[in-house]
Amino acid sequence: MLNIMSLKKKKAEEGAQAGGSGGKKKASSSQLRLQKDMDKLPSTLKLTFPDANDLHNFRLTIRPDEGFYKGGTFEFTFTVGTGYPHDAPKVKCSQKIYHPNIDLEGNVCLNILREDWKPVLNIHSVLVGLQYLFLEPNADDPLNKEAAEALRQNRKNFESNVYRSMRGGNVGSTTYDNVLGK
Amino acid sequence: MKMKIKRWQAVAVWKWDLPDEDDVCGICRNVFDGCCPDCKSPGDDCPLIWGQCSHVFHMHCLLKWLEQESSRGQCPMDRRPFVAASA
Repeated sequence: MLNIMSLKKKKAEEGAQAGGSGGKKKASSSQLRLQKDMDKLPSTLKLTFPDANDLHNFRLTIRPDEGFYKGGTFEFTFTVGTGYPHDAPKVKCSQKIYHPNIDLEGNVCLNILREDWKPVLNIHSVLVGLQYLFLEPNADDPLNKEAAEALRQNRKNFESNVYRSMRGGNVGSTTYDNVLGK
Repeated sequence: MKMKIKRWQAVAVWKWDLPDEDDVCGICRNVFDGCCPDCKSPGDDCPLIWGQCSHVFHMHCLLKWLEQESSRGQCPMDRRPFVAASA
């Protein structure tokens, strides 16, 4: 009993120290939830953490294994606020790519990142949603109107535009990033 | 042999009345018999809330969601208006 009490005291002292020096912070509720979300991923998706102690900021690499965008390597940055899971994570594409649902600044139009977010969704749902955008680009909800128009008018034409853009070529007056490397 | 009880301590356990006792809250993913991430101890301090739609959450988790405008007052599971079931 005595032993337990002294252990407890020691722990409290450590806690006070950590609180003072800002060393080991108490896990926030968003952090706890994030830890539960990072489960097994399909081989087409990869997460990297620039700072291993920071689960709130990470990068996603998608390598679609079928569809228009097969062969490309697409990078996204995730910023998860402390309001997670009540607020959706913020996701941006870090390359300039030709996609109906992603604009030239990298903003992504995916319903569950905006109006349809709900706290029972998780990071996994977002990852799968993003991957789906590469398999089935959606012309009805465009951020890149030209790309959406091309997809709606003529899929063959759209396909060759994607092919060109992924090699760092031009579509219209815009030059896109080469996403084939690595 | 005669025994005389001088002192005794009662110990009780409790759990929420749920179909699956290992079930987790869809919002925080903690077990229902635990508490929401903002609380220290489970039980009356961190109760559960049942909706008429049959979905259950930690009350604190659900209220935090419903306070947000983006929730539109809907159950996070089925997006129907969340109405608490009367116990």
